[in-house]
Amino acid sequence: MNIENPLPASETYPSYDALWHLKTLGVLAADSAPNGWSVERCDPPTRVAIIDTSVAVEHPNLVGVVNRDLSLDLFSARLGSFSCFMDGKQPIGNLPLEWETDISDGLPHARRLLTEFVDRLSIGSTAHYRGIKPCVSPTFSTHGTCVAGLVGARPSIAAQVDITGHISQLPLPYMGVDPTCEIVQISTNFDPHPESLLLAFLYAHLIKADLILLPRAIPDPSRIVPELTDVMVGQQDLQQATRRVPLKPEEKEMWTELAQLIVAVSKQCPVICAAGNANEENAIYPANLATDHNGIISVGAINAKGYRSSYSSPESATVFAPSNDAEVFDRVEVRLDEMRPDYDAVGVPDTNSNHKFSSFDVIATDVPGRGGYSSSPFQQEYPDMRLREFGSYFCRFGGTSAAAALVCGFLSLAISTGRLVKSDGLVAKAWLLANSHLISSDTGDMMMPSWTGTPEFPDGPQTVCRVGAI
Amino acid sequence: MVRLDILHSNHFTVTASGLVLNDGIVQTVSNPETSAQSGSVLSVLSLNRNRNRNRNRNRNRNRNEDAGTHGGILEPWKERDKLHAMKADWIDLPVPLPPSPEMLRADAKELLIKQALRKTEPESNRIEEILREANLELSGYLRPLGIEGFSGFEATERLFYVVIALTDEIGLRYKDRYNVVRPNQIEPRLNPLLPNPPHQSYPSNHSLQSFSVAFIFSRILPEHPASSELMNSARRIAENREWAGVHYRSDTEAGYQLARMLTPCLERVCEDQMLAALAEWV
Repeated sequence: MNIENPLPASETYPSYDALWHLKTLGVLAADSAPNGWSVERCDPPTRVAIIDTSVAVEHPNLVGVVNRDLSLDLFSARLGSFSCFMDGKQPIGNLPLEWETDISDGLPHARRLLTEFVDRLSIGSTAHYRGIKPCVSPTFSTHGTCVAGLVGARPSIAAQVDITGHISQLPLPYMGVDPTCEIVQISTNFDPHPESLLLAFLYAHLIKADLILLPRAIPDPSRIVPELTDVMVGQQDLQQATRRVPLKPEEKEMWTELAQLIVAVSKQCPVICAAGNANEENAIYPANLATDHNGIISVGAINAKGYRSSYSSPESATVFAPSNDAEVFDRVEVRLDEMRPDYDAVGVPDTNSNHKFSSFDVIATDVPGRGGYSSSPFQQEYPDMRLREFGSYFCRFGGTSAAAALVCGFLSLAISTGRLVKSDGLVAKAWLLANSHLISSDTGDMMMPSWTGTPEFPDGPQTVCRVGAI
Repeated sequence: MVRLDILHSNHFTVTASGLVLNDGIVQTVSNPETSAQSGSVLSVLSLNRNRNRNRNRNRNRNRNEDAGTHGGILEPWKERDKLHAMKADWIDLPVPLPPSPEMLRADAKELLIKQALRKTEPESNRIEEILREANLELSGYLRPLGIEGFSGFEATERLFYVVIALTDEIGLRYKDRYNVVRPNQIEPRLNPLLPNPPHQSYPSNHSLQSFSVAFIFSRILPEHPASSELMNSARRIAENREWAGVHYRSDTEAGYQLARMLTPCLERVCEDQMLAALAEWV
């Protein structure tokens, strides 16, 4: 760092609208009014199943968004404990499920699980499976809270306590793409075993979700990218030779069935997946299952200047959506943040992509209080949802998780407003592509959903980005 | 009801110092559709500027090698107090009942096979692992996360020690309840690599403790790419106890089940430690 001659641009980060991503998608107009849609709720609301971590359901912008009767936690109890039931012995009601489904036909492990699962979900079963509490502490529900807010948060008015003890009303002008939708949170653990994820997709199907969002990778040992089974080391393939724990034949079959189940489910409702944050050439699993013949939608990230985010592979995504950016310094690209206070130009090639870097993040709902990506200075919040501060209620977010959440919300809004009739995954994907714009750049073409047909990027310059309707 | 009008008269702006509501002015209004009344600046909001999206920070390798991984911790009495206050949440979890003697004999036969395979080249490196893992040490958990020997992750290490200490007590209570004898007491032809620990076999505390560490870490940072690998590491540590001849497969599985069911309780007991650990990663 050159201390004697600090860069004049150091730390001159521009301020920006916390809802820029909604305006870039065209969902909101410049004055934050809905762009050609209204909030008349469709009945029943569009149901979005999010398979992720748990969610902070008491966040003031998520109140009324998360379905408390159906949200299910598969982290701690094998066949799931309902997340929002305080009394675990309370019997569940007569859930309106797709009882007669044939989704597991030809998948023997999935069928066996489905039989057990249907029994567990039948009327009179207890909310907490065998008395096991769900693992849903809001303090550790960060990722799920960010994603849920991007999809379906609603503007709200909260009560705030100031330093004199006076209580006032505090507007929280934040919303997700579709503030009328209903979210069913399906939380799982990250054990690399296929059973929980088989159950998660079966459940999303049973509750007749209109959309399924998977903003994460699935740790299938055979399908983690790059796949290793095509490289032989002696008599073993590289995957077998490097595994710390042998893969049991039954597990291998279940992983294969999971891939088949995701494809089968996607043909009935779209499955929106994050494409990955490490320039994965063909996306992470299961985003890399997306083809023209299924309803899996792989989502990459585009920054606030209209350039592909540095971490998002140009080849891997069905569509791209707004997100943050990241610095990169390698043989493929040099894209550095010149405003960073310790930015050092020594060693930076003359030909670089620094001009493409955007400092804009996507702002998401965060776990209130001490947990989450933004932390409160207070040990405890006031009871009764009275805020002591609002800084911990929102955070900077990004990656293809954020982009996937935005695309899911975009489809949800289309269904809620009647622009897209509830449909199978293939039809929904075709609609999405038809309502996307081609953005060309020197690293390839990207399709980005646009509500109005005129994407605008707030961090400019936009001239390098040729935008045109297809 | 969805109140989009709130957006019309209010806005959040992201600034270099945080999130600002209505240009830094508190919106103290009874009817947010109207007026923006002036007030004090609400707060300077700490927004996480983390851009690493799951990449480890570049930490300096400057830690005293004797600290942390070998040093242990003071007795976590505060967390133990909380744990005991929540006893009803963990004392009677539906762990499968232990196998019958007949089943244990069949399991012990599997251990004899492992004992024989232990001498073969593909499994030979287990012996070193087993000996290292016999005592409390964290390398099996820290290495998958890429932080073994790095400074700046002391709270993460302390959290792991706390989890291990608390689950040790819980496991001993379940062991005492089921009172299952060790494998070489069922099958004398077994020659364990380690002396039998002075307590019962079911469930395996190595399994319970290792999986608890992995589950708790996945609650802190589920998006970390190594969250799943930590589970594999936990399973390896747990299964190594079978290869050592001191645990049945059913012990390992019961430890896993118990760890999974315990996590909702542990994440509340260890909340302070987990938040301190999280702060080292974001």
